Amino acid sequence: MSPDIAAGFIAATLPGSLLATAIGVVVGLVVGMIPGVTVSTGIIMVLPLTFALDPTISIALLLGIYAGGMTGGSFSAVLLNIPGTPSASATILDGYPMARKGEAGRAISVAIVASFAGGFFSFLCLYFIAPSLADLALRFKAPDLFSVVFFGLSVICTFAARSPVKGLLSAVIGLAIVTVGQDPVMGTARFTFGNAELLSGIHFLSALIGLFAIPQLVDNMIELARGAVEQRTSTRMGSLFLRLADLKAMGLPVAIGSVVGAFIGILPGAGGPIAAFIGYDYAKRWSRNPDKFGTGCVEGVAAPESANNGVTGGALIPMMTLGIPGDPITAIMIGALLVHGLAPGPLLFMQRGDFAYALIWSFMWANILTLLISLAGVRILVKLLAAPKTLLMPAIAILCVIGSYALRNSFFDVWMMLAFGLLALAMRSIDMPVVPMLLALVLGRQLEEYLRLSLTASKGDPTVFFTSPFSLAFLVLSVVSIVWSFAAERRRGGARSAPAG
Amino acid sequence: MRTKNIVTALVLIVLGTGYGFLTAGLPTRSLPNAPDPSFFPWVITGCLLLLSAILLVRGLAAPRKGRSDTVVAPPLRTPIVFLVVFALYVAFLSFAGFVAASVPFFAVLMVLYGERRWIAIGAASLVVPVILVLVFRYVLQVPLPEGVLSGWIG
Repeated sequence: MSPDIAAGFIAATLPGSLLATAIGVVVGLVVGMIPGVTVSTGIIMVLPLTFALDPTISIALLLGIYAGGMTGGSFSAVLLNIPGTPSASATILDGYPMARKGEAGRAISVAIVASFAGGFFSFLCLYFIAPSLADLALRFKAPDLFSVVFFGLSVICTFAARSPVKGLLSAVIGLAIVTVGQDPVMGTARFTFGNAELLSGIHFLSALIGLFAIPQLVDNMIELARGAVEQRTSTRMGSLFLRLADLKAMGLPVAIGSVVGAFIGILPGAGGPIAAFIGYDYAKRWSRNPDKFGTGCVEGVAAPESANNGVTGGALIPMMTLGIPGDPITAIMIGALLVHGLAPGPLLFMQRGDFAYALIWSFMWANILTLLISLAGVRILVKLLAAPKTLLMPAIAILCVIGSYALRNSFFDVWMMLAFGLLALAMRSIDMPVVPMLLALVLGRQLEEYLRLSLTASKGDPTVFFTSPFSLAFLVLSVVSIVWSFAAERRRGGARSAPAG
Repeated sequence: MRTKNIVTALVLIVLGTGYGFLTAGLPTRSLPNAPDPSFFPWVITGCLLLLSAILLVRGLAAPRKGRSDTVVAPPLRTPIVFLVVFALYVAFLSFAGFVAASVPFFAVLMVLYGERRWIAIGAASLVVPVILVLVFRYVLQVPLPEGVLSGWIG
């Protein structure tokens, strides 16, 4: 075992780190469980805490929320027929019918065990793939890195949007925002209008808080102002006990879901909901009794839950090895690490191998603790489904302000957070996704830096991007993903306009 | 959605043109073989205008009254009220300090979220901001704006 692996294990297993992971798991289970509060919001809530904590403890807390949140989403899916997180949407298909049959406890136990299996499989993928991929990425030169970042951005534009044009526009607007401040190569001030605060650019965490938290606060306000009754469950939990036959029935769907989840997690932008539905679909196709799916069967809960938890470790692979976040949650994690001066990417394993492995081990603990805490505390946790949003939402609003202010002790960042919240609402009204913009805000400076460094090294020759096999491969993949998304949009349009029947 | 797409495209074309105009005014650096600081903004200008033009053409080419055009307009009053309250809070926060600004903000938000029990509103709006300031300032050492209550609690 290398010294870094051992040092990372010790750091992740210290009482402080384990306590942070456990707290994160509880927070994650609660925010994941409550419909209308996403895992991203849960992470945004604790973000200001992470600025003051040791980086290993901070990341343990965030990973706990990530793993716990993915599992918590299934509780409300089973008990209320409402997914706590979008990733738990597919769990409803069989989870709620099981609850109606009086087997809510059994369905939740299946979800918890399958979530653990998917999460642990993705930890193994992270443990074995990430260091090798980081080694490979260390050989990348500026043109390769440009193409990798461009690929990450183009894939997320095409996955995150119904209209690829709007996805691409969202990313381009994000890139334009990134150009505010000093340019990353020469330090020239751009678009600052003489404002000193604009010189250091717009902090992407304040933008991220605005883009994700403000629309959610507004949505909940609209819902509650309409007189929507807060969800309370009257469903009886029943026994949590799983029989041997249940565990046997879970085997194949969990294996399918875990592999699908980990693979989809690696792709930027695809995310938990897609993985869960694909996992469900494959488990149904491979089942001996596909007709049982949808009627309340164990397999129909196990497959999507293992898939959406499989995504977590998968999404951490590009984040840790290439510095490319696969979803908003990993984007926030990058921001939290950058605040501590730790830049995720291939150099992380070389320069701070101990921390990189501490992250990986903390992720393992997050999955184990999610299993233990969920099984031990699910009966108490589900009572929090009745937690009043009239109290929770104002607290989230204040934490958003603290989070943006504490970044640089500046009200400018708070105003920016609010401005991005307004922008997110405007974008939503025209069906333009915010995720590509977020990724552009995270990756924009690197994209420009690698582009300009490549062109400087090649004396302005653009063929430098096509002569390296890595660069060429990623550019081809980028083009394929963009063309594929336009073709998919065309097919959807064709299907809609086709006469019914 | 057709009208929205056309309006969005036109707005983005105007913004793209403005961005290009500002890019043209960026200083040039005469380092050999190195792209100028304006190089990347020019690429963005091109992409922004091209994509906006595509959106405009698609919007104009879309049928006038399709079934997909029947979109229910989202309510506007609540987001506006929320953003105005939030903006007032941030403006007030800078000179009043965290606790003095957060107590009324919390109370107003609780009412906006539908809480009608005045004792609950009073208790929560006092307790939550004070707990937050104690945790952040004294446990986590994160400085929050002190304002008028400087020296008391923050």
